[in-house]
Amino acid sequence: MVVGHEPGGDGRVSEASAVDGLDPVASALVTEYLYDQGWSDGLPLVPATEESVKTFLAHTDRDPDEIVARLPQLGRTATVRDVATHAVMAGCRPEYLPLVLTAWDALSAEPSVLGGGWQSTSGPAPLVIVNGPIRSGLGINSRGGVLGPGFRPNATVPRALGLTVRNSFGIVPHKLEQATQGIPGRWTICIGEDEENSPWEPLSVDGGLRPGADAVSAMLVRTCEFVDNRHFADPIEVLRDFADTIQRAGPWIFRHSSVAIVLNPEHAQLFADAGLDKQDVREWIATHAGKTEAELAAVGKGLSHLAEGPFEPDHFHPVLADASPASLPIVVAGSRNAAMSMVVRIFSTWSGRSFPLR
Amino acid sequence: MSGGIIDPTKSRSTVTAAGTDASRPEQLRDLRVGLLENGKRNAAQVLDAVGHVLAERHGTGPLVPLIKKQFAMPLPDDLVDELLAGCDVVVIGVGDCGSCSASAVADGIRLEQAGLPAAVICTDAFETTSQAMAELKGDQAYPFILTEHPIANLTGEQIAQRAGGLAERVAERLLVGRPASEAA
Repeated sequence: MVVGHEPGGDGRVSEASAVDGLDPVASALVTEYLYDQGWSDGLPLVPATEESVKTFLAHTDRDPDEIVARLPQLGRTATVRDVATHAVMAGCRPEYLPLVLTAWDALSAEPSVLGGGWQSTSGPAPLVIVNGPIRSGLGINSRGGVLGPGFRPNATVPRALGLTVRNSFGIVPHKLEQATQGIPGRWTICIGEDEENSPWEPLSVDGGLRPGADAVSAMLVRTCEFVDNRHFADPIEVLRDFADTIQRAGPWIFRHSSVAIVLNPEHAQLFADAGLDKQDVREWIATHAGKTEAELAAVGKGLSHLAEGPFEPDHFHPVLADASPASLPIVVAGSRNAAMSMVVRIFSTWSGRSFPLR
Repeated sequence: MSGGIIDPTKSRSTVTAAGTDASRPEQLRDLRVGLLENGKRNAAQVLDAVGHVLAERHGTGPLVPLIKKQFAMPLPDDLVDELLAGCDVVVIGVGDCGSCSASAVADGIRLEQAGLPAAVICTDAFETTSQAMAELKGDQAYPFILTEHPIANLTGEQIAQRAGGLAERVAERLLVGRPASEAA
């Protein structure tokens, strides 16, 4: 029923003779078989075989039995081999495996991941950020359409994460996965930072690594909202525009929220030209983004029920707990063709740690 | 038959134990009632109200309110020890979110196995995930108590009203266990 493929040295069917021998009928049968098993996220899968998984494992020194992800509440784990299997199924190239494994290192350090994120009604998406030379080595997009489709590593690495959650953890929608609506982009958001067009050090340096290191950072996110401010003249006006989106009441649920900005290089350059570094931007936003108790109460979200309450109507609640990179990570990415940035609300918190590729 | 295609779920652990409850008390009179709340809005209030109805109607002993801080995670061992040492029965809830509902069921199953009769309350919006956890823990017929969703926005008066009905189902679960005829 299933035709075995003939992998080239890099694991893909690469030679001209193999192209001549393609069998679309067999391929369609395989696709349907994989759907029938219930392993798919809704899109077609690539079948994983011992051979293809072995080809992927050749790209890491890690023990295939090493556990890289675990959920104690379900008593379930995923090993390097399980992750490799899902990287195959997601459509990754073998050399993406260290990226997927390091993304799991990063996610496994997130309290929100361990604390029920995959099952949550928020239906949060992992946001995976890649720094270092590996971006050009693997063809990871960091510029135009960085949050959109069209680039294999950007698309398949986060998909591999989602398939691991589905199949290794058994967290399936309408059962253990309880997303109310979920966010657009779940299992599809992996971006490179456009370090070459950033005036600042990369996110991975904020995350504790040396400049130039290949690194992965990951956080769970629950909204993405544009800040389209392309006719800017004054950096403070642009900061006010960011604050306005960041302090929007809609996603407000707890006392504080962490927020990431996928910052357009034009906005980054505007701030840098005005003498602001990333920390200056963070501090301005941490000070100014927020709402008063009366403004929150007007939309039914006053915080006076909290142990720290009650609050006076004019009490100002800042969105961010502080101005640290963990509370407001900033990543420069996107095209320089129009100054649009994205405000990304973080599900709970970010650890503030970046992880070296391994 | 499948051409060597790997089953990516094959390494998933399955539990085949369970299905057994702690032995039940003959009555609730003077028993210490643990109220294990998960920090969700109104959870403590609902459990407290249920506890007071149990005291009124069944003459239970002291109410022992406890909080599970990490609502999605397994119960920490020290909290299990505290429950076993300080309570004769426990009411757990309220499962009112994606992860904490399933987790409440897991906690109930764990405490039953440790010998503590438990009644787990979840809202009906989370029935499927609560059931999925029962199955994952190898106790498909684990009886959890469903209450109408939502509870987060109930007023004090509505909570009192809700607790009246819930308390009888809690008492039944704690005293009777799982009648053969009862559907989960």
